[in-house]
Amino acid sequence: MRFGDLLSMSLGNYGRARLRSGLTTAGVAIGTALVVLLIALASGAEDNVRRSIFSIGDLRLVTVQPFQPGANGLSAVPRTITDDTVAKLKGVAHVEGVYRQFDAPLGMVVEAGDDGTIRPQGIEPGAPVDRGDLLAGRHLETGDRGVAVIPGNIARLVAPSADAAVGRTVTMRVGGAVKLGSTRIGGSGTPRDYAVKIVGVFDEQASQTSFRIPLDDALLAGAENRGLTADTIRQTTGYSGLAVEADDSTNVADIVKAVQELGFSSFSLKQVVEQIDQGFGVFKGILAGIGGVALLVAAIGIANTMVMSVLERTREIGIMKAVGAAPRDIRALFLAEAAYVGVFGGILGLALGLAGGQLIDRIIRQLNPRTNPAPIFVVGPELALGALALALGVALLAGFLPARRAMRMSALSALRYE
Amino acid sequence: MNAPLAVETANLERTYVSGRSTVAALAGVTLGIRRGEFVAVMGPSGSGKSTLLNVVAGLERPTGGTVRVDGEDLAKLDEVALARHRSRRVGMVFQAFNLLPRFSVVDNVALPLAFSGVPASERVRRAREMLDRLGMGPRADHRSNELSGGELQRAAVARALIGGPAILLADEPTGNLDSVNGAALIALFEELHAHGQTVLLVTHDAQIASHAERTIRMRDGRVVDA
Repeated sequence: MRFGDLLSMSLGNYGRARLRSGLTTAGVAIGTALVVLLIALASGAEDNVRRSIFSIGDLRLVTVQPFQPGANGLSAVPRTITDDTVAKLKGVAHVEGVYRQFDAPLGMVVEAGDDGTIRPQGIEPGAPVDRGDLLAGRHLETGDRGVAVIPGNIARLVAPSADAAVGRTVTMRVGGAVKLGSTRIGGSGTPRDYAVKIVGVFDEQASQTSFRIPLDDALLAGAENRGLTADTIRQTTGYSGLAVEADDSTNVADIVKAVQELGFSSFSLKQVVEQIDQGFGVFKGILAGIGGVALLVAAIGIANTMVMSVLERTREIGIMKAVGAAPRDIRALFLAEAAYVGVFGGILGLALGLAGGQLIDRIIRQLNPRTNPAPIFVVGPELALGALALALGVALLAGFLPARRAMRMSALSALRYE
Repeated sequence: MNAPLAVETANLERTYVSGRSTVAALAGVTLGIRRGEFVAVMGPSGSGKSTLLNVVAGLERPTGGTVRVDGEDLAKLDEVALARHRSRRVGMVFQAFNLLPRFSVVDNVALPLAFSGVPASERVRRAREMLDRLGMGPRADHRSNELSGGELQRAAVARALIGGPAILLADEPTGNLDSVNGAALIALFEELHAHGQTVLLVTHDAQIASHAERTIRMRDGRVVDA
């Protein structure tokens, strides 16, 4: 029997008991949709976590923190990161760059109103945090003073678009009361205003409050807030942190060790990412299992429908065998019919899953217009193809026994069947 | 005569086991049917005539003896080859017509060719030709459940002949027809026979059997008069 004949003949069989085929297909569709939705949810969550991790920096990065880890369960001891620390770290093997960072007290962009809360972050040009995420303008450069690279959400509060915000001068107020979420907090020191020119706007997926300014500007603002000088801050308070960049992510462990030997706490994403990947693997497995139960129920539905279909068409099977259908032709006909249920159910389920995911995404976005606009449901090509293959596979498995039953039927007794 | 017989059986047996008792539907049948012959098999019900036909058709395997159809020993054929035997070497006409009601007449007639891998357009062309030959051309596109009994059986004959079988087998083909349609069908068989078609017909009606060249009488699974 030709493949085309097989497909058209079994499609005819599929279409004959329309209601029954439709209901069975719906079962597969719901199961597939559930698998797609649940795995898409896990993928979306993983993407979001990964994205926020990678926005902090890449895997070659080791962050040095201004305290010493407490030994034996004791709390951490504060330590000062000075230029001396920086010099020592620059001498460590595999270190490609050391970037200082100083966080000035919380503040706000006056023109942006209540929602303009910012965290002025003094960084050096080329710092890992200030790379490749621009919506408009440029990153910080050597010799910059009185400028800022700001998140997209703040840019849109002071100008119609990110592009329009570049070149504008805004008032950066450091210290004083700010609004954090829905609560207003007192803030530190006396508020003081600085005029800063926006030179760049970055994608706020990295951070919605980080206000990137030159290191010296941040040190000055921090000093003035507390009535000190920038040099005093450098020597006594020290930097808020250092970003140490390795030449390759495989050497991160060596640098982490060197940082610990200097007496500082360190944080590297490489180790964290490995754990997260593992965790999400388990998470996805569990969700896929839940969806799998739905597919299993659908499979039983298919098997039941096919058994009925074989029984109903006993006489027809007899006729086909009598006029020359080989056993494998009969089996192929019923398997193909089951495959139609799987393919149609899979496509429908995939469409349902995609539509459902987008609908939920849209609802969540409408409920929280200011939150991270990243999608919660992520359906990649592997998931889409995998879901279709799964639906088809489940249908073929479910159809196998009924098809074998049809195949083994005696032509003569099938012909006598009333 | 060098050419093989159309049908040749030797000590053909077919027994059924039900519970502890054994029933022999065929208890050693030896017969030969020449090519181009029109043979009727007669006998009361339970005489084994239908079983004989089913064995020749490849629908049933004998439990003993040999059966050759067009020179081929059916015992040597596996399931796939036996299916090919049914689609090409023999054509079967049943009492109950056995057409697929949801298919059109032409698709029913073309069905055996689908299982021997003939492309769809070729199948339909040959099926229409066959229907025209049997005077069923105008009914080709009707669904088989729209046909009268006589028409159904003509369509079934067309289906049996579509593969160009060495032998046409018919099991009580007039059993569900009125006398007029029954007579017309037998006339069709005679006409096919006149064109060289080998025909093996099973009937319990002496009137029908009288149209055949030769009548084989069976009783209790044995040939009593060939």
